[in-house]
Amino acid sequence: MSGLFSLKDARISYGKTEIVHGVDIDIAPGEFCALLGLNGSGKTTILHGCCGFLPVEGSFTVADTDCRGLNEKKRARLISFIPQICSLQGGRTALEVVLMGFNSQLGLLESPSAEHKRAALAAMKRLNCAEFAEKDFGALSQGQRQIVILARCIVQDSPVMLMDEPDSALDFLNRHMVLAKIRELIKEENKAGLITLHDPNFAMAYCDRLLLLRQGSIVEELDMRRAGAEEVREKLSLIYGDIGLLQNGSSFLMGKAL
Amino acid sequence: MNSKAKNRLTPILFAAITAAVITAAVVSVCIGKYSITTADIRAILVGGQVDEMTRKVFITLRLPRTVMAVIAGIGLGMAGSVYQIIFKNPLASPDIIGIAGGANLGAAIAIVSVSTSGMIAIAAGAFWGGLIAVVCVMLLVRATRATSTSTYVLAGIVINAISKAVIMALKYFADPENELAAMEYWEMGTFGNTTLSKLLSILPMFLIGLAGILLLRRQIELMSLSDNECRALGVRLRPVRAAVLALSTLMVGSIISVTGLISFAGLIAPHTARLMLRRNNSTTIIMSGLVGSFVVLAADILARILYSAELPISILTTVIGVPILVYFLCTRGKEVS
Repeated sequence: MSGLFSLKDARISYGKTEIVHGVDIDIAPGEFCALLGLNGSGKTTILHGCCGFLPVEGSFTVADTDCRGLNEKKRARLISFIPQICSLQGGRTALEVVLMGFNSQLGLLESPSAEHKRAALAAMKRLNCAEFAEKDFGALSQGQRQIVILARCIVQDSPVMLMDEPDSALDFLNRHMVLAKIRELIKEENKAGLITLHDPNFAMAYCDRLLLLRQGSIVEELDMRRAGAEEVREKLSLIYGDIGLLQNGSSFLMGKAL
Repeated sequence: MNSKAKNRLTPILFAAITAAVITAAVVSVCIGKYSITTADIRAILVGGQVDEMTRKVFITLRLPRTVMAVIAGIGLGMAGSVYQIIFKNPLASPDIIGIAGGANLGAAIAIVSVSTSGMIAIAAGAFWGGLIAVVCVMLLVRATRATSTSTYVLAGIVINAISKAVIMALKYFADPENELAAMEYWEMGTFGNTTLSKLLSILPMFLIGLAGILLLRRQIELMSLSDNECRALGVRLRPVRAAVLALSTLMVGSIISVTGLISFAGLIAPHTARLMLRRNNSTTIIMSGLVGSFVVLAADILARILYSAELPISILTTVIGVPILVYFLCTRGKEVS
């Protein structure tokens, strides 16, 4: 039985260069997974393949729908994507940015209705960011912007959420805040979430499962709901080399052994 | 200024610019070698008694000229705003994808091969030249198999360069007194050649382009995001971008086929609109059209009153545009990108 999100023997290339070699990923509803790996290991390539920015060979389904031949609109109904930084600099209110999430549900020439505006405000209220609704998006902090983008994801209402280092431009507190909101949303809405992160400590704190990627292949998996300290140390060492690990109850903190 | 204050100010700004456009349009109808008073205009509009010559000048010359200036400003201003949004480039103007170069080449070929005074042939040459240039840009982009926005800009530069090379060759071999002068004059633009029949012949194409842009405004707004973010939100980027470019080309091509090239209006209007509204969305596109309309009308009025002979319009749009551009350079930090 496949998960809500299922990638089987996926090979993804930039032009003629294959970057991702035969990757298998299954994510169940309500499960939050992280892709961990060093720079150039293929994390972002996997997400870009799933979003349709790059062609995927092999099998790729979301809710048993083959996603490989889907156009942008049909794909956006199944998959939402949070980039590292939203490319919009300003000139729109935060509410207008959230309303963009309805695009896949609207006709080409249709505009969001009053009902859509109410739903967008409700999504912002849910993430405690309704006070930004009428503010210019460009005037918000990076943390506030990522929360607004998360609200856009809520209104997009897709069963799968893909996130490409959404915490990369955030300070320590905002990272915790954004990742906690993402996890909460995935659990409450029973979505399948796949995130790329650079910091394994944040991945271990917020994700259910870590997929360890090296040179375009998944070399190991870590189920953080069950893994013990020895298993965590052993598997993370495959990516990060010699590491030190502290355990506090079911939580871990990794550092580089010098 | 917070967004609520901006929202309250928006209708006032729209009312002010609309009033400015209407005032400029009335002045444009009145000004010229044969003066028409506002009382004459009122009498013609309500079917009152008016001198036959005045009626004729109004119907066949001034009204088409003024309407042409209004729609030229709307078209160039809106197209400039659309291009700046979808190419994410504040320097984008309607000629970025080769339309101006193509239209210029089409007009030059018509001048050399048909006649220096065959205005219909020159207009048709310019229209089809602009259209063919944009089709070439699209084909070039398709041939590269690249989908990024910058590919369109680079393809536009290629087509503009080719057009320019052919125009230079035509100018080199052209008869300096007639053909060369006609080519140079066309490049500087004028509303002096506008007639009712020319206006009516391009109006349907202009209106199709305008209506299409207004209907696709939400998709245009979404295209201000990066290509990947745009696709992830479900925008069918390739067909939608092609449709937007085709519609704006129809709008701009129909205008410059009658007027010749008009510099700066398509660049200045979007910046002014953004500065006024502190926004960069579909409202800005419409405001940009109104600002463009005012700038072109003002330039056309000045073109008729500053000198004993009528000046080319691009001289005036540049004279108006450059100080505004310098102002933007000085206040760039405050402007919403």
